[in-house]
Amino acid sequence: MPGPVVRLRGVSKRYGDFTALDRVDLDVEQGEILALLGPNGAGKTTLISIVAGLVRASAGEATVLGRDVVRDYRFTRRAVGLVPQEVNFDPFFSVEETLHFQAGYFGVRLGTERLEEILQALELTEKRHANTRSLSGGMKRRLLIGKALVHEPRVLFLDEPTAGVDVRLRQQLWAYVRRLRARGTTIVLTTHYLEEAEALADRVAVIDRGRILLVEGKDRLLDRQGGKTLRISLTAPIAALPGALRALGARLEEGGGAIDVDAPPSGSFGPALAALAEAGLPVGDVETRRARLEDVFVSILGGGAGKETP
Amino acid sequence: MNLLGLQTLFVKEVRRFLRVPGQTLLSPLITTSLYFLVFGWSLGSRIQEVDGVPYARFILPGLVVLGVITNAYLNSASSLFVMKLQGTVVDLLVSPLSYAEILGAFVAAAVARGMLVGGIMWIVGSLFTGFGVAHPVLALALLVAVAAGFAALGFLTATWAGSFEQVNFLPTFVVTPLTFLGGVFYSASMAPPALRWLTRSNPIYYLVETLRWSVTGRADAPPEAGFAVAAVLAVGALLAAYGVLRSGWRLRG
Repeated sequence: MPGPVVRLRGVSKRYGDFTALDRVDLDVEQGEILALLGPNGAGKTTLISIVAGLVRASAGEATVLGRDVVRDYRFTRRAVGLVPQEVNFDPFFSVEETLHFQAGYFGVRLGTERLEEILQALELTEKRHANTRSLSGGMKRRLLIGKALVHEPRVLFLDEPTAGVDVRLRQQLWAYVRRLRARGTTIVLTTHYLEEAEALADRVAVIDRGRILLVEGKDRLLDRQGGKTLRISLTAPIAALPGALRALGARLEEGGGAIDVDAPPSGSFGPALAALAEAGLPVGDVETRRARLEDVFVSILGGGAGKETP
Repeated sequence: MNLLGLQTLFVKEVRRFLRVPGQTLLSPLITTSLYFLVFGWSLGSRIQEVDGVPYARFILPGLVVLGVITNAYLNSASSLFVMKLQGTVVDLLVSPLSYAEILGAFVAAAVARGMLVGGIMWIVGSLFTGFGVAHPVLALALLVAVAAGFAALGFLTATWAGSFEQVNFLPTFVVTPLTFLGGVFYSASMAPPALRWLTRSNPIYYLVETLRWSVTGRADAPPEAGFAVAAVLAVGALLAAYGVLRSGWRLRG
């Protein structure tokens, strides 16, 4: 079995007294989508930047396909594509020129077929001759993704790729990311939107204050740390729970107008529903809710993190 | 070696300055024409000759040196600074281009602009003075070395600079005064003692005099001095720029 595409061992980054990354170990496996989640200033961009060659680690070793990112930078940078968080553009050139130049820096002549594919996938075909200055924010962001793909990298780092992008385009970009993965591209994603990680990621790494707190398969993480809740809305509030429901761990919510029952991901609500029918309570509605990555993320960070994770 | 990368960055940098020809090429053309109208043509008819050289022909080398220095410097300085400002410098830093390739492409493009502007100035000036050049190969070699040195200085300045004002500091407050006090419009030997001392303490004076010697065959200073200044400047500035780029200062985190 081939080794990890990206491997970090004991990687630290210090800026004076501030430690941005603290002895990080992380493996990114071939062909997976790894979501890197963490609150503001957690070290996500620093980590990505070290692998891409934008930032130098203070200690430790980072490798791409087994080659050191500093000593073998020509090899590793050809294997890596980076979509940076900040939108950038060169106001002197068109979309097509920008893509040709970016490919050239990587020692690649951008063929017509590849150019057309990138332009079409990112819906930039009509703007191919437009000056990059005239592009909308979303188009500029798509161009960043195009630039990161011109040399067909083995691993793609997406640092907040859909920030400021509308819902329709976000869905298209997600579909494109899935297509890239299907073609064997390994993807590391940091995202502003937890639902993005939930929709795309195979594995999730949670980072906070420069330390990796957890790396786990998304589904396994949701199963282990998550769970599900049954909410029974009543048509008239009740003062106390029937004993059978209390024994199942149910609790009263909404001033007695609703009952919540928690269960593990693979658990059953059958006993709770039977107890509910037995008690003859005035049921208005019944719904179940699975824990989402957001809940897991907040619980891992001790409830201190909000929904934003840049 | 990433030859295609080097070539791509060079072509991009050249296209960049060709996209704004009014600013990069037309502006020096107009400035040179004005210098010749005022100093060469109107004033020149009164001054006649300096060191046995017609006045218009006497001032041409200094103006060409000023044009080459300013344009080579501004090309690399403004390009790198705009890339820093726009964030596109990231495109280079994540690429497999080596430090030498990045610096080489920037400097080569800046030399191209400097030589192009210098060439335009020389052609315009020569319309007034005649096209003869005593030592054309040495003149070219000197100007390429001067352009490379100032291109590297521009690269260094842009690496350090946090504002356009800082980028413009060197050409406005250092290069232009030194060039004007470097014997562009006068001969040091004919100047008052204080100005003569000031002029001969100025390294740009030796560049101007050596180019003057290369063009007219006459100069107020030994031509070797100008070549030595150009060589020290080019090697020193290129090594400094390479060292700073390699250190990652203000570019890589």
